[in-house]
Amino acid sequence: MHRTSNTTISDALLGARDMLPMTLAASTYGAAFGILAMKSGFSVSQSLSMSALVFAGSAQLIALDQLLAGAGAGAAILAGAALNMRMLLVTASMRPALAGRPWWQIMAGVYLATDASVALIQAARDRGSAASYWYQFGGNASLLVVWILATGIGALLSFGIPTPERFGLDYAIIAVFVALLPGLWRGKSDLWPWIVAAGSVIGMTFLFPSQASWALIIGAVLGAFTAGMIRDE
Amino acid sequence: MSDIWITLLGLGLASFVIRLGGFLLAGRLPQTGRWARGMEALPGCLIMALVTLMMVRGGVVEWAAGVMVLLVAAKSRNLLLSMLTGMIAVALLRLVL
Repeated sequence: MHRTSNTTISDALLGARDMLPMTLAASTYGAAFGILAMKSGFSVSQSLSMSALVFAGSAQLIALDQLLAGAGAGAAILAGAALNMRMLLVTASMRPALAGRPWWQIMAGVYLATDASVALIQAARDRGSAASYWYQFGGNASLLVVWILATGIGALLSFGIPTPERFGLDYAIIAVFVALLPGLWRGKSDLWPWIVAAGSVIGMTFLFPSQASWALIIGAVLGAFTAGMIRDE
Repeated sequence: MSDIWITLLGLGLASFVIRLGGFLLAGRLPQTGRWARGMEALPGCLIMALVTLMMVRGGVVEWAAGVMVLLVAAKSRNLLLSMLTGMIAVALLRLVL
């Protein structure tokens, strides 16, 4: 038993160490979210709760944007959940480490899943070993802790940033989404899906100017549908 | 209860259900083919759609700042730095234009 808990801890620490590059990236992202949430009318506890419960930066931001646009809670949840559908693939890839574990360990394991979890599994492979449960737990949990802390720091920083309009704060949320694009671009195969997504939104905005949240969902789904229909080379 | 609380609790629950769903469905989710390609493309398409939606309402200032943000983000991959670039660019351009 003593021996087991020793490997548990060393696995968790190794996971946290291998996660470090992603943790650093998440800290600036989390701070950006904290600032934007506070400037969008969230309280400190709401900003922290969202980071703790949702734990997915882009989904948190898109929900925030939908609320700001006055689309309502339903549209905000729908847009965020649509963005998080990719987590199906993440936790599916975690299954080998989770299967056969006690239910509470499975719950905790999937709760901590993010895009970075996939990179962590790859980091273990690069070491020539399988990513164990506690290795992944340590890495993913360290990311959650930093994510919440960074959100808090961003929320505190927001008190020092004055009057929105004048300092381009209204533009901050647009800038964050534009800045996400290079990381999402996977190469030429994304070209037509992205053109279809953008084109659908432009068409919808002209035809139904008041239905922005539907334009968003329909544009995204048509883009993804295009990606599905295009044949592999 | 405010819209903010409903949204963060609802999205938190939805996200957990999706995450648990991936584990439960793991064997049954197609790893290749149309469905998998669509799923993998969805996040990029959704953000692209959102940026388009924001930009069609924007003017010269927003577009010029957008190009700057895109360049900084592509080079640095740092979200906070890119965001600050956009804010400062918009603030300066609004003073000039």
